[in-house]
Amino acid sequence: MMRYRKFLSFVVPVLALLIILVWQYRAADQAVVRIGVLHSLSGTMAASETPLVDAVRLAVEEANATGGVNGARIEMIVSDCRSDAGYCAEQAEKLITKEHVRALFGCWTSACRKAVRPVVERHDNLLFYPVQYEGLEQSPNIIYTGAAPNQQIIPMVSWAMQQHGRRAYLIGSDYVFPRTANNIVKKLLVARGGQLVTERYVPMGEQDFDAIAGEIAAQRPDFVVNTLNGDSNLYFFRALQKAGISADVIPVFSTSIAEAELATIGPERVAGHYAVWNYFQSVDSIENRAFVERFRQRFGSRRVLDDPMEAAYIGVHLWVNAQRDAGTPDAYSVRIALGRQTLNAPAGIVAVDAETQHLWKPVRIGRARADGQFDIIWQSGRSVAPAPFPFFIPHAGRDGMAGGDK
Amino acid sequence: MKIFPRLLLLFLLVAVLPLALFSYLNLRQDEATLRTEALGRMSGLADKKTIQVQAYLTERKREVQIRARGPQVMNAIETMPQDYAAGWHNPPYAREAAGLHEYFGRYVGEYALFYDVFLITPQGEVIYSQKREADFATNLLAGPYSETPLAQAFREVLMTLEPVISAYGHYAPSQTSALFIAAPVMVDGKFKGVFAAQLSNDLFYQVATDATGLGLSGEAIFALRDGDDVVFTTPLKYRSEAPMKLRMNPQQSSSLPMLGALSGESGAGIKPDYRGKPVVAAWRYLPELGWGMVVKVDADEVFASIAQQRVLMIEVVSGLMLFAGLLAYYFGRQISVPLEEMARTADEVARGGTNRRVDESAPGELGRFALAFNRMAENLQGLYGTLEQRIGERTRDLSATIAQLHEEIIGREQVETALRDSQSLLNEAQRLGQLGSWELNLLSGKLYWSDEIYRMFERDPAHFVASYENFLSVIHPDDREKVNQAYARSLVDRQIYDVEHRLLMADGRIKWVRERCRSEFDAAGKPLRSVGAVQDITEQKRAEDSQRIAAVAFETHEGIVIADANVNIIRVNHAFQEITGYDPDDVLGKNPRILSSGAHDKAFYAAMWRQLIDEGSWSGEILDKRKNGEIYPKWLTISTVKDGEGKVSEYVAIFSDISARKKAEEEIRNLAFYDNLTRLPNRRLLLERMSLALTASMRNQHYGAVMFLDMDRFKTLNDTMGHDYGDLLLIEVAQRIRSCVREVDTVARMGGDEFVILVEGIDSIAEEASQRAALIAEKIRSSLTTAYQLKDRLYHSSPSIGVCLYRGNEESVDVLLKHADMAMYQAKESGRNTVRFFDPQMQHAVETRAALEADLRYAVFNGQLRLHYQIQVDDEHRALGAEVLVRWVHPTRGMVSPAQFIPVAEESSLILEVGHWVLETACRQLAAWSKNELTRDLSIAVNVSAQQFKLVDFVDRVMAVLRTFDVDASRLKLELTEGVVLSDVTDVVAKMYALKSLGVRLSMDDFGTGYSSLAYLKQLPLDQLKIDQSFVRDITTDPNDAVMVQTIIDMAHNFRLDVIAEGVETEGQLAFLKQHGCRAFQGYLFSKPVPVGEFEALLGGWS
Repeated sequence: MMRYRKFLSFVVPVLALLIILVWQYRAADQAVVRIGVLHSLSGTMAASETPLVDAVRLAVEEANATGGVNGARIEMIVSDCRSDAGYCAEQAEKLITKEHVRALFGCWTSACRKAVRPVVERHDNLLFYPVQYEGLEQSPNIIYTGAAPNQQIIPMVSWAMQQHGRRAYLIGSDYVFPRTANNIVKKLLVARGGQLVTERYVPMGEQDFDAIAGEIAAQRPDFVVNTLNGDSNLYFFRALQKAGISADVIPVFSTSIAEAELATIGPERVAGHYAVWNYFQSVDSIENRAFVERFRQRFGSRRVLDDPMEAAYIGVHLWVNAQRDAGTPDAYSVRIALGRQTLNAPAGIVAVDAETQHLWKPVRIGRARADGQFDIIWQSGRSVAPAPFPFFIPHAGRDGMAGGDK
Repeated sequence: MKIFPRLLLLFLLVAVLPLALFSYLNLRQDEATLRTEALGRMSGLADKKTIQVQAYLTERKREVQIRARGPQVMNAIETMPQDYAAGWHNPPYAREAAGLHEYFGRYVGEYALFYDVFLITPQGEVIYSQKREADFATNLLAGPYSETPLAQAFREVLMTLEPVISAYGHYAPSQTSALFIAAPVMVDGKFKGVFAAQLSNDLFYQVATDATGLGLSGEAIFALRDGDDVVFTTPLKYRSEAPMKLRMNPQQSSSLPMLGALSGESGAGIKPDYRGKPVVAAWRYLPELGWGMVVKVDADEVFASIAQQRVLMIEVVSGLMLFAGLLAYYFGRQISVPLEEMARTADEVARGGTNRRVDESAPGELGRFALAFNRMAENLQGLYGTLEQRIGERTRDLSATIAQLHEEIIGREQVETALRDSQSLLNEAQRLGQLGSWELNLLSGKLYWSDEIYRMFERDPAHFVASYENFLSVIHPDDREKVNQAYARSLVDRQIYDVEHRLLMADGRIKWVRERCRSEFDAAGKPLRSVGAVQDITEQKRAEDSQRIAAVAFETHEGIVIADANVNIIRVNHAFQEITGYDPDDVLGKNPRILSSGAHDKAFYAAMWRQLIDEGSWSGEILDKRKNGEIYPKWLTISTVKDGEGKVSEYVAIFSDISARKKAEEEIRNLAFYDNLTRLPNRRLLLERMSLALTASMRNQHYGAVMFLDMDRFKTLNDTMGHDYGDLLLIEVAQRIRSCVREVDTVARMGGDEFVILVEGIDSIAEEASQRAALIAEKIRSSLTTAYQLKDRLYHSSPSIGVCLYRGNEESVDVLLKHADMAMYQAKESGRNTVRFFDPQMQHAVETRAALEADLRYAVFNGQLRLHYQIQVDDEHRALGAEVLVRWVHPTRGMVSPAQFIPVAEESSLILEVGHWVLETACRQLAAWSKNELTRDLSIAVNVSAQQFKLVDFVDRVMAVLRTFDVDASRLKLELTEGVVLSDVTDVVAKMYALKSLGVRLSMDDFGTGYSSLAYLKQLPLDQLKIDQSFVRDITTDPNDAVMVQTIIDMAHNFRLDVIAEGVETEGQLAFLKQHGCRAFQGYLFSKPVPVGEFEALLGGWS
């Protein structure tokens, strides 16, 4: 009897201690913070958008490996937007209300962003938008990690005019981005004494570009500004090739063709043409080499990286760092901390511009190579301040209004 | 191991080790906390600094943008290149340059924000420079300076057409490092050149390196990366190198916090700085400059308190350990010493010393153990000693008998003889000395009392037999035990018995006696007899008591001085020492005069003495001096003490220090005239001083000034940071104002954040006086504009000051204050942080306005307002509806222009009444129109003011009016100005949606005149944009306006909004608008605003 009691008096506390330890461990294990990823995994945008999910995934895994955010593990929930803006907005609504995600990472087309925007604004949530776009927009609930017009289209056309001549031919898909972007391009042509040769829009997913290629061949513009999105690009470049238009005669400057698209179009078709981005996989820096290495180690050694992927990747890191800086999940504190973020990103040092919620980014002009990479032939010395409302267009934005302050 | 060392070891383990461990951990914890706090604080400061630098650059950038869009720069960039090409030495260029030079003179210069400004053609020619350094007339793309920061900024502008901030670097033409801001100059949408400005280094360094809040050793440092090197860009506190001269190689100093910043990271930590000294630092990257920034304080300074704490901790812990050690030693000894003694005694008992005993006084178990041990030894001893005892007893009995016999014989003889001789003498002596004697034979128990004892005990010897019991009965019952014990003890320890006790007399009186006695013992120690004396000490006792009471009474909190008949101090109490600061030795034997302050004259003291002598006492308030020289008021009472013969034998002075009470009285008086917080005069005292000042001014005919000062946005500070911060600010403001004016000027606080400054006797010439008053006010304004350190925060504020001059007493005090107040409001209205003088015209304007307001109030409620209708038509001149405009027909003023009365209404909230009336009238009209086929489809546009729209129940009001008149909501169009929608976005958008859901249509009035951005516009559920008439007016002549209108129409179409142009007056305008897609118009071309009757007639004409 005595021995039994002695045994119990030893075992019971030890068991209790073990239970407490296990419970605590499990409790820590349960803390999870969710983010939603909104990209088209099917439909016309799938080829461009699918890799972005991997970029987000890499960043999430890196963040979790370094302790998650404030003790919680990040869990990403991926929704397929099916290349349909309306559907995407529904998914955003669902992610926010049903899954209680703290932030959304996604959208590619401006149509998609404009559809999701009222949703995030209504719920006061956050969207990290990773793609260059037409500007003229600003929302307290969106962080734009892609380029503003002055970080892509404007220097692109400026450079094209300096190098190739005054006559521009504009071709784009028929939706918000190309139309607004071309409005800016047209104003820029006026400003710099350029000449608009022709402006054409085709429906998203259009495959027949023979007539357009013929027109280009006939009009012989000095350069083409291409704002086509999705797989139309494949047919466009195929048609150009068929019409015998080569890059050294009429170079095409594209806003939506990065390494990933090069691979689907076939690099040899695009070689010699230009794209302007903030990031190319060929950027030569320690940070970028490490980034490419990490990505390939995780997703396969033949994978290519491009600008939107990098932008998606840094979006997650900016969000994570802001949470860590704020030390609290409180949305307001996080948003304040977001406005102060700087990051040594693969593209170079980027910084959030608190006023516009766009990023300071370097600008690079690349010429496509037959091996699917770009030669960087020009780059800005430093990161360029984002200007979603171009200064040179009067009444484009607050700063655009004469006077400035009163 | 012995028990004592074991106990000591245990103590060390249980007490000392945890204590030391705890202290150590605690110290570590404190250090960690301090570290976290310091790092957190540094991060906060770094963020603040970042914002400060960014704000500075943003401001400068904005200034450059504004200039780039200004007419001067735009004109110059159009005309200058030709003149420049023709030769910049020639007069046309020189003339133009001179104009620009004058224009820029305000922004550029030695101490200005900008060092130089430039105009550059798209081809890179620097065609204008304010300073004309070597860079002037060079080409930035091809010339000698094509690799400078200016050229780099120029090229970036070429690429992006955005304003840019250049990199920071050496700029040869200025022979210093420089930073440029460049912006494109656009004329009619065409890129015409670049306007650039070179920042003034000194000012920028000042802003950047301002180390407020960083402590003694703190500084903010900045650096950029040049190749691999880190180059410091601003002046450093601990190095003399000029900016851009100190370079460091990261390989050598790889832990520099700056390296983190330069690689785009932000963080905080304790690291060595450029001196190699450890600092608490926070680092940030500044994208605007591409610089890293480190904000830091020496770790020594931050951790100084911890080092102190460490020393203190060691001292306290060792002190505590010493104390605990001593305590443990003492208690350990208490246990171990008796144990050791017992062990020793037991040892001796075992060896035969059976009479050894141990000490039983030890507490607890030890005591019980000792008791048991002793009982055991006793038993042992008892058995042992029985035999010896029996022999001893026999022997003792025999010798006792012999001795007794012998003694008795001798004793009796002696006693009898002595008695006879001395009895009478003794009795006499005893009576005189109040001393009785007694004798007790302990063998026979017989007691003898002398006569005096009987007298003392008040017992009759005839009836009273002396016995110990009887003796006890006389003793006061409370003392009986004491006496009994004392006597018994004296028999045991053979000492003299000496005791004082009370007697209780039959009538209840109490007497005090002192008894002494001695006892005799035989050889075996057995007591034989006791002889004693009793003395009556009642009198003596009484004297002692009263003395003791007097002594206690003497030591009170009031100071007491006793002086003898010659007025020399003979005694003072403790309170005297405390109050006066004098020790007894300082004053004994001296005259109390040494205490006096000299504040009272001879007559005062003479009166005092007179009363003292006549009445025996004096009391009153008197000023005396303490030993340290401080003069203090006291309340003093002096009384004389007289001896039996009625002569003064002593003086007794009692006093209390009443300086504290005096201070309190003073305080109360101050409250009435001074502000409690700032210690400045309050309104009451100010009014008093002002009326004196006016009188003085009347005499000397000098001008004076009254300044009314109010801190800008003080309420915000109070609301956001709390009232303690507000109070701190006010105290600081009060001090700063005081330091700006002369001692004789009055600075008063009127309450809240309002201050009034009264400056007297400025000058007798009006111009001079106002000039100097302006200078003083400006000095105050600039002093109050510098930053405030409120506890841990830096706060910026500014005052608005209204000044009004006075001379003589033509204006009353009230009027002067009102004027200054009015001027202050004027200052507030013109943008705050300003000084304004009162101007009689201003007063006139205010009064006129007030009259107008009163009339308007009457007008609203008495039907003097009218609505006029201005037709709106489509492109085929069909009537779409009308905009209603309010008109006021005043019975005497006639037609009052809306431009005159609408602002008045807006300021007085009458606009709500007006607005409601307009809405109601419009809806009534719609209801009337709905009955007629001709007018059924017309809509009415009503202007909504910002105030009206802000009403919480605005939407409900609109709904109520619509219901009342049963009007189709889609016929009602509300026109909102940008001012309305720009205020509170969420509220505005919510209300607009609510209105839309009622069916009401919304139009944006005066579009293009405000600041609304496209982004903002897109959030609003608008139906229509209205192009402001200011644009329409010049569309046919001014290409700018033409483009503008075109843009608005495009934009409206993009957002699927209707667009209407107002102010259409000519066919040319109409044609232009139609051509560009505008389909609705309003203006004099169609009709001016007319009363409803005319309007309806007009419709007939149209249709």
